[in-house]
Amino acid sequence: MTGQTSDAITPPRRGATGRGPVSLVRSGVTEIFERRRLTRYLVGAELKQTHADTVFGQLWWIFDPLLQMAVYFVLVVIIFNRPTPAYPLFIFVAILPWKWFTASINEAMLSVTGRQNLIRQIQFPKLILPTAAVTAATMSFLFGLIALAIVYLFYLDRVSIWLICLPVIAGVQFVFTLALGILFSALNAFFRDIQNVLGHVLRLLFYLSPALYSLSTIEKDHPTAAAILAFNPFAVLFESYRAVTWGTSPPNTIGLALLLGFSLVLLTVAIYLFKRVEPTFARIL
Amino acid sequence: MTAPTMTGIAAIKGQPAVEVHDLGIRYDLRLTRRTTLKGSLAGMFRRDSSDTDFWAIRHLTFSLAQGESLAVIGPNGAGKSTLLLALAGVLQPSEGDIVTHGRVSTLLTLGAGFEMELTGRDNIDLVGAFLGIDARQMAELTPTIIEFAEIGPFIDAPVKTYSSGMRARLGFSIATATTPDILLLDEVLGTGDQTFRARSQARVRELVDRAKAIVLVTHDLTFVGEFCNRAILLEKGQIIREGPPGEIVDLYRQRVIQHKLLAEEGAKRFASVPKADQPLVNSR
Repeated sequence: MTGQTSDAITPPRRGATGRGPVSLVRSGVTEIFERRRLTRYLVGAELKQTHADTVFGQLWWIFDPLLQMAVYFVLVVIIFNRPTPAYPLFIFVAILPWKWFTASINEAMLSVTGRQNLIRQIQFPKLILPTAAVTAATMSFLFGLIALAIVYLFYLDRVSIWLICLPVIAGVQFVFTLALGILFSALNAFFRDIQNVLGHVLRLLFYLSPALYSLSTIEKDHPTAAAILAFNPFAVLFESYRAVTWGTSPPNTIGLALLLGFSLVLLTVAIYLFKRVEPTFARIL
Repeated sequence: MTAPTMTGIAAIKGQPAVEVHDLGIRYDLRLTRRTTLKGSLAGMFRRDSSDTDFWAIRHLTFSLAQGESLAVIGPNGAGKSTLLLALAGVLQPSEGDIVTHGRVSTLLTLGAGFEMELTGRDNIDLVGAFLGIDARQMAELTPTIIEFAEIGPFIDAPVKTYSSGMRARLGFSIATATTPDILLLDEVLGTGDQTFRARSQARVRELVDRAKAIVLVTHDLTFVGEFCNRAILLEKGQIIREGPPGEIVDLYRQRVIQHKLLAEEGAKRFASVPKADQPLVNSR
């Protein structure tokens, strides 16, 4: 046959796709960039959805961390009697990023399973789903920074030039969170058990991270424990956030650089694994 | 053979639209069951996959030329919907391959992808983005979508405030807004009240007229003759016969009757077995 073919021929969809890791990761990254508009709409939908039934809506991203701060203040300073200077600011710069992290992971985890109706009907890049979930939580976090400003009103002497490092630290956290969000969204499609376990794992991780305490206080009594804890990504993040806000000093640059490198590797692996299992979503959901 | 120049959306007769070669779709039952970790860990140690794999369709080979419309008929569980999903690209072939010439589209279940908190207008954008329609085309389509859905000022209210009829109308209006080159239909849709049903059927007919090729999966055999010029009878994932719609529909009807007779016979035999035991039970 010599017939002309239309220019819209799709490459043959073959069984047992033998695509290499590099091509899978590249197509995953391309999808995320090309379908920005879908991400934007999903982020908008998610932001409307999250606080739809509450009177204060998005304002809860300001109230909630402040209330948590008050609770921990009562617990640590009054009940345990461990006074630390400017303790509200000290814990607040860990509470807010932590809320961002947990909100991201929780929403990303449910993002694929929550769209099973659509996944079974049309072909679209599923990688957009966890990406949009993490992005939506990031928007909320940015809004929640208003709360940080409110706390700062009481500690104006702690404002320093190092605050300009905040976006960098948050950027590292974003890459790390996105990688984990993508991983968990795919895993949850196969094992719903994760939903049940994750809450506890996250709480443990929070207490193992220097949120309510600083690594240096542990170092005195338990130097080995502190050395191990330093490998926790949130040790690097919390200590850095705290340094540039509460401590008016530079962040842990080497730690951040290492964490960024690790997070980028993790993100690549996450995208690869996600793309590997993506075709099976429509069969198993 | 010189191909005529394409004018508008007219199809070039004889050019292939869909080519399916030795297609097989396999479901892994270990994963399909809503598993928990325990169940699938146990499954992982079973190396023999013969009892955990299920071929919904296998060794399917057929092609569809432009200008043709194909009906796929068969009993429940024959693999009709699986075939449609494979053509739509939702399911990847486990075996063989599919080549499609042109944009393939299936009509979404009405209202799939809607976000309850968003307005009707935002949902139009969202579903359009899911379908991969670009922003400019979406902006052009939006007025017609709104008009056809007949929901008036509610278009700027959250979808959660809609009645189910309004939701269905908006969903239908979005789903049928663009004409694909290859249209995949799972049953012929009829939604909403009487007047809207008439309009929606007219719209489907319009789509059918404009698409270059159609694959229709249906239980309603009256539509087969009306919409299609070729038919495939599918049973247990295999093509039983392919041919003109009338012939295939007749064959299907015969086989349904046969199966029913067989089933009744089987049921009789099954029913007669416990009779032998009855005296025992009654004597107690």
